[in-house]
Amino acid sequence: MSVAVSFKGVSKRFTLHHERPRTLQELTIGFLGGDRGRTEQLWALKDIDFEVEEGETLGIIGPNGAGKSTVLKLVAGIMRPTSGEIVVRGKVSPLLELGAGFHHDLTGRENIYLNAALLGVRERETKAKFQEIVEFAELERFIDVPLKHYSSGMYMRLGFALAVSVDPGILLIDEVLAVGDEAFQRKCLARVEEFQKEGRTIVFVSHALSTIAEMCHRALWLDQGRVRAIGSADQVVKEYLESVK
Amino acid sequence: MIDRLSELLQYRDLIRQLVIRDLKVRYKNSLFGFLWTLLNPLFMTVVFTIVFTIMLPQSAVPKFPVFLLCALLPWNFFSASVMTSTSTILGNGHLIRKVYFPREVLPLSTVLSNLVNFLLALSMLFLAMLLLRVPFTPWALLLPLIAAVQFLFALGWAFFLSAAAVFYRDVPMIMDVLMLAWFFLTPIFYPMSVLPQAQTLLGVTLNIQRLAYILNPMASLVASYRVVLYYGAPPAWDFFLRTIVTALAFLVLGYLFFVRYSWTFAEEV
Repeated sequence: MSVAVSFKGVSKRFTLHHERPRTLQELTIGFLGGDRGRTEQLWALKDIDFEVEEGETLGIIGPNGAGKSTVLKLVAGIMRPTSGEIVVRGKVSPLLELGAGFHHDLTGRENIYLNAALLGVRERETKAKFQEIVEFAELERFIDVPLKHYSSGMYMRLGFALAVSVDPGILLIDEVLAVGDEAFQRKCLARVEEFQKEGRTIVFVSHALSTIAEMCHRALWLDQGRVRAIGSADQVVKEYLESVK
Repeated sequence: MIDRLSELLQYRDLIRQLVIRDLKVRYKNSLFGFLWTLLNPLFMTVVFTIVFTIMLPQSAVPKFPVFLLCALLPWNFFSASVMTSTSTILGNGHLIRKVYFPREVLPLSTVLSNLVNFLLALSMLFLAMLLLRVPFTPWALLLPLIAAVQFLFALGWAFFLSAAAVFYRDVPMIMDVLMLAWFFLTPIFYPMSVLPQAQTLLGVTLNIQRLAYILNPMASLVASYRVVLYYGAPPAWDFFLRTIVTALAFLVLGYLFFVRYSWTFAEEV
């Protein structure tokens, strides 16, 4: 088994700008007043080590603000770590939120082409998969309607259908399965299971602990930017549940 | 750097899609739609022609609409590229925060969609040339070359400004003022030849005409468009070569600046 994702001593610091001069006027005033703006350093991740093996599904759990989404953004390459080393082998599905690139004035069809391109898919591949995406999203009747007339369920279905059509080696999922009705959620989970069977690597962030325990091989518990525990999903979820009691 | 450029090539379909999105969204929901690309320069030409041939007849230039459009359309292309680029990163913040893709795609597609508009608007110029019987000469074939140089120049600015606007939000306001000044300093509605060759300023005699050429790459570009289309003559090669060098220098510097700061966009937008 080779390693698909590895974090070695990874830290990420954010600079929170409380009174950061945003305009030249504020900068000048701040400069004359001897005030360079108050900033606060926030360590979202501190010295994180973990590895995800190829074909493995890793769940990341922890309270809000623990740094779960930051981990996904670092894997996706949206941000760079402040220190430490990250190695990612394989094509990452770079979408962290369903329908992030949707444009409300464009139709479903136009949005499929635009968003597939955002995910790095070539146009002829999109053309070949177009029918499949539309069928999975169950939007045949509405595909030429502008997105602003879609219900939020339709919107999410299109987003998920697109995200799973990309054919990534490494799939990143951030809370996206919590949307849609029961039937569609089941359909999404079934699709994720298919990915697992095909031997793809999945990194999964969720507050739905039962889903994590059920779907993931291993789980990583983050707390205030540090690793609290890593191990078999059942075990880590159990420990986490006991701690919040 | 080579990796970065080849990755950009991988995303060429995204660039195309973003250009299409820009053009579609711009004209959807508007009554005349794409016609605005043509109507806007038409109205401007009518206004400028009234001012400079009827209200100020002493400064009249023959076949003024052609004279004006040769310069106004390239100027509009440049000015629109600069102004829209200041918001291209900030306006797509939701994408920057959520999706990985080479950030260069955004300023690049902004300038490209303005280039498309420019090419469409050129049809008004050709129409004016036909109606006013301004002959096309073989020198008009240089038009794509001049447009390419201008595209690179505008792209350099777009890289620089789109990144700078993330850190200083008053970049659009500064550029508003700057572009207005730049418009008047560029020979768009007046010929270069009205500029004095010897003007004494604070005791120093300056060749304003030459200075305008040297200090203002847009003056040289506009003059090149005008000379190949309106005058049907070859461009001033020495100035044109200098403009190519300037455009490339702006492009490289703007790109390096953009690359240096692009990885922090996700945290700043």
